[in-house]
Amino acid sequence: MPKGTVSIKGKPDSEVKESLSEYGFNITVAEARRVVELVGRDPTLVELTIFNTMWSEHCSYKSSSKVLSEFLPTKASNVVMGPGEDAGVIRFAPAGKDDSYCLVIAHESHNHPSQVLPVEGAATGIGGIVRDVYCMGADVVGVLDPLRFGDPNGENGQESIAIARGVIDGIAQYGNALGVPNLGGDIIFDGGYDENCLVNVVAVGLVKESRLIRSRVPIEAKKIPYKLILVGKPTDDSGFGGAAFASEDLAGEGEADRGAVQVPDPFLKRVLTVANRRVLDLAHEKGVKVGFKDLGAGGIACVTSEMADAGGFGARLNLDQVNLATGDYSPSVISCSETQERYCLAVPEDFVDDVLAIYNEDYELPHIYHGAGAFVIGDVINEKSYRIESEGEVVCETPVKVITTGISYDREKKTGKRIFNEPELDPARSIEEDFLKIISSPNIASKNYVFRHYDSEVQGRAVIRPGEADAGVIAPIHGSKIGLAFSVDGNSYYGRVDPYQGGALAVCEAARNVAAVGAVPSTITDCLNYGNPEYPEIFWEFYEGVRGIGDACRGIGLIGKEGEPLPVVSGNVSFYNQGKSGKAIPPTPVIACAGVVEDYSRSRSIFFKEEGSSVFLIGEPLDELGGSEYYRQIYNTSGANIPQADFIRERNQIKTVIDMHGLGWIRACHDISQGGLITALAEMAIGANPALGLTVDLDEFGRTALEPEKLLFSETGNFVVELPGGIEREVLALCARNRVKLFRLGQLVSRPKLNITAGNERLATWDIAKLRDLYMNGCRGIFGKQERRISAR
Amino acid sequence: MQDSFSGKVAVIQFPGVNCESESVRAVRAAGLESEIFRWNMPPQLLGEALAVILPGGFSYQDRIRAGVVAAKDTIMDKLSDFARDGKPVLGICNGAQVLVEAGFIPGLHWEKIDLALAPNVMSDREGYYCNWVHVRAEGNNCLWMNKYKEGDVIPLPIAHAEGRFVTKDEDIINDMHKNNQIVLRYCTEVGDLDSSFPVNPNGSVENAAGICNPEGNVLAMMPHPERASWLRQVPEDISGKWKTKRRNACCRPEIMEDEGPGLAFFASLIREMTG
Repeated sequence: MPKGTVSIKGKPDSEVKESLSEYGFNITVAEARRVVELVGRDPTLVELTIFNTMWSEHCSYKSSSKVLSEFLPTKASNVVMGPGEDAGVIRFAPAGKDDSYCLVIAHESHNHPSQVLPVEGAATGIGGIVRDVYCMGADVVGVLDPLRFGDPNGENGQESIAIARGVIDGIAQYGNALGVPNLGGDIIFDGGYDENCLVNVVAVGLVKESRLIRSRVPIEAKKIPYKLILVGKPTDDSGFGGAAFASEDLAGEGEADRGAVQVPDPFLKRVLTVANRRVLDLAHEKGVKVGFKDLGAGGIACVTSEMADAGGFGARLNLDQVNLATGDYSPSVISCSETQERYCLAVPEDFVDDVLAIYNEDYELPHIYHGAGAFVIGDVINEKSYRIESEGEVVCETPVKVITTGISYDREKKTGKRIFNEPELDPARSIEEDFLKIISSPNIASKNYVFRHYDSEVQGRAVIRPGEADAGVIAPIHGSKIGLAFSVDGNSYYGRVDPYQGGALAVCEAARNVAAVGAVPSTITDCLNYGNPEYPEIFWEFYEGVRGIGDACRGIGLIGKEGEPLPVVSGNVSFYNQGKSGKAIPPTPVIACAGVVEDYSRSRSIFFKEEGSSVFLIGEPLDELGGSEYYRQIYNTSGANIPQADFIRERNQIKTVIDMHGLGWIRACHDISQGGLITALAEMAIGANPALGLTVDLDEFGRTALEPEKLLFSETGNFVVELPGGIEREVLALCARNRVKLFRLGQLVSRPKLNITAGNERLATWDIAKLRDLYMNGCRGIFGKQERRISAR
Repeated sequence: MQDSFSGKVAVIQFPGVNCESESVRAVRAAGLESEIFRWNMPPQLLGEALAVILPGGFSYQDRIRAGVVAAKDTIMDKLSDFARDGKPVLGICNGAQVLVEAGFIPGLHWEKIDLALAPNVMSDREGYYCNWVHVRAEGNNCLWMNKYKEGDVIPLPIAHAEGRFVTKDEDIINDMHKNNQIVLRYCTEVGDLDSSFPVNPNGSVENAAGICNPEGNVLAMMPHPERASWLRQVPEDISGKWKTKRRNACCRPEIMEDEGPGLAFFASLIREMTG
């Protein structure tokens, strides 16, 4: 019988509630009573701390798991590993006769920590997500960072700017030092994030299928003794309660919450990464089977119980063996703190010395970082129990399943009532003037400041860099023409009007973006950012968003694999995104799409290339300006008619663009998104080297077409392509075969102007140099050098 | 990891560097053998090496100042002998910072710190900056550049927060000029020197991007040639002559594997060996 129990049994609810809150626990009284039931007695403080973490929304997915499994397709012929472990895995190219190259991808949020401590919060976001990929045995080859910040011109403008700058600095500091290139990201500024920014992070890695490592004790432990090794930073109390912190509203002023933010160390991580690689290579050489998992939420208790249970084993730990930072820490803190830069290995007893020598001697962890190192902290046992000892006393003892079983809720949902109206267009407005406002708005203007702050070149695999095209492209395998393309998307303005469309359109746009560089969309991950799921309307938003994502994945499917869905292999749910005023963020499902390029030499930047090329629009602009940059900037309203996902059209258009890449026709390609057709054309012209211009005649769209401003600013997800002149007949035939609409927009000329006409009538003319100036400097006030550094708070 | 570095290019892996693998890859692409040398390996192994490269990254976390701690590492004694023997030593980015902090560069007074690599000075932004720039090959003094011709314009990526070569001592600059030590200078795509951002991306004195010792066997450069060793690594919209080459490789994957603008730094070693 362990010592030091928390008495719950037989106590009235009020007393239980009081004692839970004294300990700072988030679990409810009912959950605490469930713990008593499971453990069969009053739990120890350590046990209750473990449950408090494991049953947090962040770890347990207790509100979301049923909805996710109801809607999201996770199986397809390319999937090696779907959701369940730290990252998802797909195969993308053969590696010799019996092996495959695999892409490993993971996606997480680090929203609350970034709101209270932007630099550290965002840096640990990167630090955590790369660990999820490393621990599958993969090399991390890139990160992406979809970010949502408050309105820089709003009431909290200065704070939003300070948070944005801090977050970007944190991401840069971690990724640059770790030596992982940034492959892309996006930024949206909106008042809906004033009190709760979103910092989502994606990491991608490479591994051969035969070298995948599982986050579990290997089956070999049935026959030979296995030990549990903890390696990395010395355990301290940083990030204690981090998972719980992510699972409640951001109500306070944040002071108390800062302790729940972990402390990042990319330097130590880099050395650990090199040493881990050596350990895994040696294990492979010797034919030794190991289990490997990173420490995240819930720390030592979580990682060891999950690894043991996943392998069908139990574990016995001794906290006295854990390397600690200077300080006095209770068994609960040692068991559950979220100290960064740590991994756990399960290795055979006779391999322990090799492992310890690599970490502690070859790479001198204890010497290069005070208190760091690798230490045996426990044994794998064949009996399925889980026991923790500290200073000669048992502080936790339960069947291992009790800890890992989890908890699930059926949350109530209630359809939200939303009333949105379309604005009346003002015929006196000038398209020419209005566009100058659009091209320089923070959501449209160049994020060059940010891209240049990240290392896009390290590892030497970059083919297309952030800002050069709709997706980043790398050449992952040395000497092979196979490419991988990545994009992240999630336009919150659509989800606000209709959360179903918000989810569906995020998938469509992410898929479109990788297709724009010639990649076949091959898998997605989702990071689902919503408010408090205990509110039925918020839960409805979440439910609808997931339903939309699932439909889009099945609707677009795996191009070239008839009947197979675009699989979701990994993801994350982030609830409780609401700040002190209680206002939830707009529903923000963020999708990362990975695509496989057959030949990366065909992947082109969005910028116009050659005089004499023909420019076409694939797809028709529809009266879908709801949530558009145009309505918001010019009419100061959202509007109602957001784009409606049409999966057949989407699939056909994506296939057409991929076909054009395959035929070697594409000179430049850009999808239509925020800001519409005219923004896409301007962006293609702005980066053209040498300068090129274009005249678009709107009569091409026919007499029954929309008003000029709707044609130009509609955000229907189409593509603009630059193709060689003289192949119009072949282009038309391909589009007819794929049943997509095609409009000829004009021919590139050396005169650097963008003109819009309707037959003989001139509607607008812009100097491309002027547009470039506005576009390149639109975010200067946010990211440019500031005379006085603003502190976060 | 190898037991012998004889005849090989050793790429030193201080804790925290992060460009060691691609540096080895680039050297091998140039036709030489190369291996990673972990910082705490027996120093005598280093003595056998054909050449030594200090790669980019954040050695010892940039504690105190970029490069300082590594510059005091015990392996540097061996590297000092190695360099004074006239053997080739190249420091890239953080490696350049180490060579400056160790006093190998400018090397006018051996192991005396005559230069600094200071925080970037840029109009309109601060801190870390990653972009492709152009540098011009100057003189014919440096062993690492004997495959370039005087005046060659080389596009290369930079990625650093402290890359501004600076000294308060005018004599140092004069001496470096006299000895043809400033062998790489930031320039426009046609080779014009322009001291303003972004042509000079960090405010470096004399637009210096790379400086060698008077003997020419030790080179400290901020740009990353290992990230520009294949054509595919060059952005297709880059200005200048390399744009034509890069665009010609579009839809021709076999050409993408051709030599990039930075490979000649490593290939120069072969010419050095074979005379």
